[in-house]
Amino acid sequence: MNQKRPITLSIQNLSKVFHGKTERVMAVDDISFHVSEGDLFTLLGPSGCGKTTTLRCLAGFEKPSNGNIRFLGRDFTTIPPFRRNIGMVFQSYALFPHMSIFDNVAYGLRMRKIPRREIEQRVNRIIQLVELEETQKRKPSELSGGQQQRIALARALVYEPKLLLLDEPLSNLDAKLRIYMREEIRRIQQKAKVTTIYVTHDQEEALAISDQIAVMSDGKIDQIGSPDEIYEKPQTIHVADFIGQANFLTCSLVKKNEESVILRFPSNETVLLDQNKKRTSACDHSKGLLFIRPERLEVTPVLGKANSLKGQVKRVLYLGSQVRYYIQIFQQSAPQEVLVDKNRRIKDVKEGDEVALIFNEEDTGLFPLE
Amino acid sequence: MVNGLKERFDKIEFIPYLVLGLALLILLLFIAYPLSKVLLNSFLNAGDVFSIQNLTLTNFSQFFSSSLYKSALMNTLLVGFLCVFFSCLLGIPMAYFLARTEMPFKTIFLTLGTLPLILPPFVGAYSWVLLFGRQGVVNFFLKEFFGFVLPDIYGAPGVVIAMTMSLYPFVFLLTYGALLSSDPYLEESATIMGASRWDLIRTVTLPLVTPSIAAGALIVFMRAVGNFGVPALLGGNFYVLPTLIHFQIVGFFNLHTAGAIAIVNISMVGLAILISQYVMAKRSYVTITGTTQGAQVSASKTLKWSGILFCSCVIFFSLLPHITVIVTSFTEGWSGTRYPTKFSFENYQRIFQIAKTPILNSLFLAITATLVATVIGTLLSYIAVRKQFHGKWILDLTVMLPFILPGIVVGVAILSGFSSGLIVLTGTWMIMVIGFFIRRMPYIFRSATASLSQIDLSVEEASAIAGASWGATFFRITLPLMAPGILAGAVICFSTLMGELSTTIILYSAGWKTITVAIIEYLFSATIGPAYALGTILIVLVLSAITLANRLLGRKMSQMFKMV
Ligand SMILES: Nc1ncnc2c1ncn2[C@@H]1O[C@H](COP(=O)(O)OP(=O)(O)OP(=O)(O)O)[C@@H](O)[C@H]1O
Ligand SMILES: [Mg+2]
Repeated sequence: MNQKRPITLSIQNLSKVFHGKTERVMAVDDISFHVSEGDLFTLLGPSGCGKTTTLRCLAGFEKPSNGNIRFLGRDFTTIPPFRRNIGMVFQSYALFPHMSIFDNVAYGLRMRKIPRREIEQRVNRIIQLVELEETQKRKPSELSGGQQQRIALARALVYEPKLLLLDEPLSNLDAKLRIYMREEIRRIQQKAKVTTIYVTHDQEEALAISDQIAVMSDGKIDQIGSPDEIYEKPQTIHVADFIGQANFLTCSLVKKNEESVILRFPSNETVLLDQNKKRTSACDHSKGLLFIRPERLEVTPVLGKANSLKGQVKRVLYLGSQVRYYIQIFQQSAPQEVLVDKNRRIKDVKEGDEVALIFNEEDTGLFPLE
Repeated sequence: MVNGLKERFDKIEFIPYLVLGLALLILLLFIAYPLSKVLLNSFLNAGDVFSIQNLTLTNFSQFFSSSLYKSALMNTLLVGFLCVFFSCLLGIPMAYFLARTEMPFKTIFLTLGTLPLILPPFVGAYSWVLLFGRQGVVNFFLKEFFGFVLPDIYGAPGVVIAMTMSLYPFVFLLTYGALLSSDPYLEESATIMGASRWDLIRTVTLPLVTPSIAAGALIVFMRAVGNFGVPALLGGNFYVLPTLIHFQIVGFFNLHTAGAIAIVNISMVGLAILISQYVMAKRSYVTITGTTQGAQVSASKTLKWSGILFCSCVIFFSLLPHITVIVTSFTEGWSGTRYPTKFSFENYQRIFQIAKTPILNSLFLAITATLVATVIGTLLSYIAVRKQFHGKWILDLTVMLPFILPGIVVGVAILSGFSSGLIVLTGTWMIMVIGFFIRRMPYIFRSATASLSQIDLSVEEASAIAGASWGATFFRITLPLMAPGILAGAVICFSTLMGELSTTIILYSAGWKTITVAIIEYLFSATIGPAYALGTILIVLVLSAITLANRLLGRKMSQMFKMV
């Protein structure tokens, strides 16, 4: 939906190697991405995959080992952090403990030698935006975690930076507050129209907040795309597994031609997939994994439909907003458990029942093994 | 819109490198250069210039030929080990009583137990003579009522007693700190398994705090083998290496022999460090726990009362010399009787006529050196903590080196470095300030480093990203946050410099006598009254500085000495 906007930030072949005492750590390994103006771009990945390092290269706190960073057409790599005109929110907030909230927020404006009167107006305006007018005179230690977080955001935005960097800004908050604050961040970011790089390891947060997501692992980017694309059409097993819940059914590809693919499961059941939708590099008789999200599976007590798999309900877990079924398939050959999520209990299906699993081929993905 | 993006200036920031260069220059000029000169001197005969052929071991040969040198070497070791032994004997039980029993007035005991560290040891040393000497009060009464006298206080007994009483707090405070922070569950589980109180101390409590005891013992040893004032006053014919060095410098101005003795003195400290490292490495256990619960405190009445008795005795005897100083300063000579009878301000009137200059000199020198040490120590600690570069350990080592060198050795080094050659500073106040600065800068460095490592790096990064240059970040963010640590270090630096004697005695000149030199000169000529009046002024100055700093920082005195 944001394709029309021009690219403002582009990262080309960025690498960062840390030289430890004994080994070298390839923290960021040749990554490239482009961010459109005003977008919220998220770096998502497990702990230690290089998100913070990437962000610190953008901020200028780390010198890239290789590659270049261009922002608004200028080469960023030779500019020291304090001249980059970036806003940044740190994981620990990093508010100045010896300054009042007002002074914290005014800091960047003072550094830019803005006249006093204007500083006051702008600080007031931004503090209003984050809805914390009453805290101006307090010290950071007299604020709650969520309030500190919003002040950190205000401090980073007050001098209207062209780029905003956020490193796991919500990780110190409790679950409820995280959900509230991520919407706040999105609201404020949209209002300030600032290009934003957001780092998180929480996939739900990433889906909820981002325009674009880059999923990282081991210093590399696995996939870049909108939240929908990342969730619905993961391009690697790692992405599919990392985002949300996923079922991977072992299968082998028996026949492939222009129009269709036939998959055979360990139980000798087969399904037919439309080749137009499922492009795969796998060739005949190779092994593969069929990917499908738990909420996309249908369960029915009626057996014997086409493109369905037979299974037995092992366990039903009631989770409030949803009901999770654990269904064992391929029982005779190589038993495997499949998750099915429904928002209410399915009629006539109890633990121990024989059932059929039905899926829509648009909802599936096929990953070749080896 | 604001964007101070003047690409022209977007080169690397040079200020940190400028500071680094300055620091290296200072370290080279004031530490490395003088010390290497001492080393060189010690291998040359007086008058010879440096060349390979001229290198000689004659300066060291006296340690084999001269009985004075041999005995001074043995005496120094003896004093060192006895002081360590007795300091442990006093310090460890005291720490245990305070940490593990239900004693009342713990804060008072703790503060009074820290006091000897701030009070210059030599000021009180002579009081031992007044109290326990041949003509002293105690012997006077002993003879009168029991018909016998104590053995002579001059020599080893006096030196060891006086030093132990002023050095034991190092063992006490370090052990106390370790006892407070060790894992309470370890002791509890040992108790559950059937260990009696004594078993517990022997098998769990003491072994766990051994590294801290070793650290305290090391400091005691280093101070004891490097102290000049106490053996100078109480030694008599009992020579130790520092008094021997003084003898060489003042008697013959022989920097070569003095250098050789200094090298031997340094090696002693080096050896002690090696031994304590060995002890600590063998017995270093991680005992940090997440629990905030303190260790079991014994409710035993016997233990409680033994604690009160023991601690009161130790504190009484450790402060007695200084109390004697203060009381005596208000009396008019002790002649006729063995104890003071007539109180007056005569001594103070006298010193205000004849000894105003030393007081002012001391204040000037201590304040100047403290300011210099504060600025440079802070910058150095910033570089050491925040900058990554190769050979950083050299910086750490050079900064901390003076910390372990005996004061008189630092004096000899500075004198060797700046009495001839490129820079000649003998007879000026500058040479004294340099000596002071070198000796005390580590205090500031340590305490600044401790407070800097508490500051989250991202706070400074947040300032940079908001548009602040390195300088702006340093002065607006880093420095204000470091200030309490720097202030604490500066106060300790100032207070200990006011009472500094070992380096001063080598570096002072007629025009730059300090309060401590004046005191020791009066004491050498047995002019007790004025000496003690000056001593009292010194004690009051030092205590006020510390108290003021404690007020400002809201800390306890014992906490200020954590890092020393
Ligand atoms: N200064 C450093 N020196 C050496 N290695 C480092 C340094 N900083 C990071 N690394 C290593 O680089 C890798 C990536 O670290 P990074 O902090 O970027 O991970 P991350 O994705 O932000 O993880 P997290 O989610 O835990 O914050 C890790 O293996 C880390 O150990
Ligand atoms: Mg991180």
